[in-house]
Amino acid sequence: MSLTEQEILRYSRHIILPEVGGRGQKRLKAASVLIAGLGPSGSAAALYLAAAGIGRITLWDPGLVTPADLEAAIAHDRHRIGMPRARSAREALAAINPDAEIFVLDRDSDVAGAVPEHQILVASAGDWHDLHQEAVRYGVAAVFAATHGATGAAFVHKPGEACLDCIPSEKAAVCGLRPEGDAPSVAAAAGVIGVVAATEAVKLILGTGSLLTDRVLCYDGWEARFRESPVSRRHGCTTCGVE
Amino acid sequence: MDSLFSPEEKARLARSSVLLIGCGGLGSPIAYQLAAAGVGRIGLCDMDVVDISNLQRQVLHYTTDVGRLKVESGAAKIGGLRPEVEVELHPVALTRENARDLFARYDLVIDGSDNFATRYLVNDACVLTGRPQVHGSIFRFDGQITVFHPGSGGPCYRCLYPTPPPPGSVPSCAMAGVIGVLPGFVGSLMAMEGLKLLTGRGSTLNGRLLIYNALDMDVAEVQIRRSPTCPICGDNPTIHELIDYELFCGGVGE
Repeated sequence: MSLTEQEILRYSRHIILPEVGGRGQKRLKAASVLIAGLGPSGSAAALYLAAAGIGRITLWDPGLVTPADLEAAIAHDRHRIGMPRARSAREALAAINPDAEIFVLDRDSDVAGAVPEHQILVASAGDWHDLHQEAVRYGVAAVFAATHGATGAAFVHKPGEACLDCIPSEKAAVCGLRPEGDAPSVAAAAGVIGVVAATEAVKLILGTGSLLTDRVLCYDGWEARFRESPVSRRHGCTTCGVE
Repeated sequence: MDSLFSPEEKARLARSSVLLIGCGGLGSPIAYQLAAAGVGRIGLCDMDVVDISNLQRQVLHYTTDVGRLKVESGAAKIGGLRPEVEVELHPVALTRENARDLFARYDLVIDGSDNFATRYLVNDACVLTGRPQVHGSIFRFDGQITVFHPGSGGPCYRCLYPTPPPPGSVPSCAMAGVIGVLPGFVGSLMAMEGLKLLTGRGSTLNGRLLIYNALDMDVAEVQIRRSPTCPICGDNPTIHELIDYELFCGGVGE
């Protein structure tokens, strides 16, 4: 996969970075990401992944754009109230980057079934258990991120590393590592966590950096504090199957 | 405590005003998120037009906005989210002549600029007009965020860095590159700090500097203090007027 002249201009600030280069930008172009959830965190993640040059993005969300979304989720617009969130976000992403191939899954479709067709899953909503099972089964790297109010958390599963089910539930609960519901969040805090998710997805594709695979990152927007909670593979985990 | 802003806090946001310096990488998430939160009046200050090389990180701008003033493109996106937000466009360079008057018209200044000349001008004008400031900067994979609040006992930018670096010693984004997601993180944090300053909710980064590395996904915090010898907010200040640095500072745009 090569880059066009326009793409070389568009991504020049990436290409000049030794950690990305033309090679890394081509990897981003060849990559496919499934974004499950286009609420507060997913909105920010989606805009940044499209801007970064991910070649193929699939969007899914169970909800419709509501007036409350305009206070929390920046991929939407008041003219798209009532539209499925995934379709609404597609408009913003395509406007930012018309070169990206953007697909939309129906609200009631089997999103977990789409996981194996992608290189990376970024999940902020939906049934994390189902999504996670499919990711582990098919060796798809997964980024889990969600914001509730002004606090949020992010975690990355990569094949061979700890999975979501290795994390003791009380540890996940403390940080709020659970899917976003319909309760609105503070968009700025969700932006922090959503962009963390996008950053981890980009690093997974580039194969560089130290990932949130062995720790959960928690952000408390009211206090402006970040906390890390270490995670390791759990003996006897029935999902990722360490004996 | 409520997990969101209370009705009183939202009303306070609707009555408040923010001047956003720069509608580029940092300004993009800040503009969206201040608007989403319902800040009543947002001033956008940026004289640049959208360039295709901006689009890898400046999500406020669409591909069809290339060539358009960033403040106009930004105002359109804010209007799409929250039309009740009053947006004021300042497509001008911030200078020693206009900074004080401009700052005096807003409750808070958020510095999303990309060069040292502007950072010093913003800092000095904030100290001289008593405006709190949210400060952020980005470089390759690294970012820094803090809050400077003159008169609060906390430091200002010059307490940390009394004078600008020599001209030509610091590469710009164009020369050094920047990972596109970086300003998304730093700018979002800056917006959150701004909302807390306006509402009085929570604890801000006044006196604390966050140092972020995206490759390591690591956030470190260092305590920062007001310097009694600071040339502008110290006990015996020597700076009483604004200084334009761009002529000898190599203040290149992103």
